[in-house]
Amino acid sequence: MGIHLGSDKPSDLQTAVAMIPPGSMVALGGGLSARLPMALVREVIRAGIGDLHVVGSAHSIDVDMLAAAGLISVCEESYVGYEQDLGLAPAFRRAAQKGDLEARESCCDTILTQLRAAEMGLSFLPVHGVKGTDIESLHPEYGRITCPFTDHEYVVVPPLSPDVALIHAPIGDRQGNLHIEQPYVLDERFAVASAQVIATVDRIVSTREVVEAGIVIPFYRVSALVEVPFGAHPTSCYPGYAYDRNHLSAWVTAAGTPEGAGDYLRNYVTGVDEAGYRRRIGPERLEHLTGYQASEETWMEIFR
Amino acid sequence: MSYRFGLDEWFVVELARTVHDSEVVFHGFGSPCATVAMHLAKRTHAPSALLIEGAMYAVNPYPAFIPPTSNDHSLKQGAVYSMRFEEAFDMSVRGEVDHMFLSGIQIDSFGNTNVTAIGPMPTPKVKLGGGGGGCNMSATIRRLTLWTTNHRPGRCLVEKCDFVTDLGHSTREGTRLDLGYTGGGPQALITELGVFDFPEGRARLRALFPDVTRREVAEATGFDYQEAPDLGPLERPARSQIEHIRTIDPLSVRRSEFRPAELERTFPL
Repeated sequence: MGIHLGSDKPSDLQTAVAMIPPGSMVALGGGLSARLPMALVREVIRAGIGDLHVVGSAHSIDVDMLAAAGLISVCEESYVGYEQDLGLAPAFRRAAQKGDLEARESCCDTILTQLRAAEMGLSFLPVHGVKGTDIESLHPEYGRITCPFTDHEYVVVPPLSPDVALIHAPIGDRQGNLHIEQPYVLDERFAVASAQVIATVDRIVSTREVVEAGIVIPFYRVSALVEVPFGAHPTSCYPGYAYDRNHLSAWVTAAGTPEGAGDYLRNYVTGVDEAGYRRRIGPERLEHLTGYQASEETWMEIFR
Repeated sequence: MSYRFGLDEWFVVELARTVHDSEVVFHGFGSPCATVAMHLAKRTHAPSALLIEGAMYAVNPYPAFIPPTSNDHSLKQGAVYSMRFEEAFDMSVRGEVDHMFLSGIQIDSFGNTNVTAIGPMPTPKVKLGGGGGGCNMSATIRRLTLWTTNHRPGRCLVEKCDFVTDLGHSTREGTRLDLGYTGGGPQALITELGVFDFPEGRARLRALFPDVTRREVAEATGFDYQEAPDLGPLERPARSQIEHIRTIDPLSVRRSEFRPAELERTFPL
């Protein structure tokens, strides 16, 4: 819930992530293998900003990598993993099992409802379901209420107002108007409910170009905007590039042990900046991911 | 040479058979077999179903292939409309979605499922991925089809889930009726060994794959169950269904759900 009208919005990664104090509640945009704010996640790791309370829907390498770096104290996501294909998130799982982070698992529609409560300025909203499951036991902050009209007993949830939302978009203008492609997942909700919105875009373009593509998040919600080509890699950011399944797979293998995760972080995160990261991935590989449009066969080939 | 097909293909056919024509059907993320099954149903016996595609929320897409992840844009090819996240969830919790597929690492005889943790939270033996939206949607969607491809090792169908992530017919707080939920709960549980239904809100063995015995099912199942009076082998798929599956899923992502030994099971047609 911030209105950001300044004309001097931070435009480099270091200054942008310096806006995140340790202990912040951080909303992660995108979901699963698409449009995760990976350049920002990597910069948070470089800056070593810890004790984070991350919130979101179904996520993967963003949470897993922050967990590997030991920066998460509470994880309030509805899912963390790599689906059937690459399985459980090794570093997240290890941290949860050791008690290094609290897995305060939530559900997609509950998170959505809590963000809506924040957007509407309400102190609570009822949610469907949850009652009768064990998810409720992970959330002492939830309550119950009996509907005065129907007598149905609902679980009620407090508003969720993240300190900062990290969002990646394919394009945006200098003021911070952002265009993203469907599915927006919770990004629009995060943008309104969060005090600060730090955005990265693959390309900064003219306002006219963003207007033509369609503004999904308006400039006054965005407090910092940084251009980072391939800023969502190894996840996808259409219409630019498909997700890099091979790289995700390499991370999942590396993260199988703390040492492997540490080596990966040194190679791809703390030992390099974003330009260095792209060099490590290699221009041919990045080019390959942008080539999905050539044919269905090419698109399919990226995932083999 | 005779025409053969694999267990993975028959399994998808069984999932597809639970889809009715002209219903609203949805699957969550990370569900390759359910994804392929929905498209198979749509291209065969359920052409008027409203298919909401995984984590893309695309309506009635016609993808050229199924990718290994549920929110790749290849999954919305051919869809003229994609719902917003909010639309898909509102539709589900409002009760407008007829049918959803759900899986579980543990499943009990009431059809409760656990995808949160093995062993006690907050520091479990194994932290699983999590439930996505199932804990909300399982309360209100009219019909649930459960599936697992890990029945045989004996750790999936359990007497009691270590953690209830998604609702079956009854939990420690009572039945769906007691809880005031409008959804009808699980109607089928499909495993790599056979198919259960839930006539009294409890799992009942209804049919077997032809290479599976009743004893194998009993040995792999951690809860007591009734058998249907007409318990017998599943009806064989039609060749056209198998051909559709191969066309829909050229990357064979459906096979990623099965242990290698199960993939060696093939059947003549």
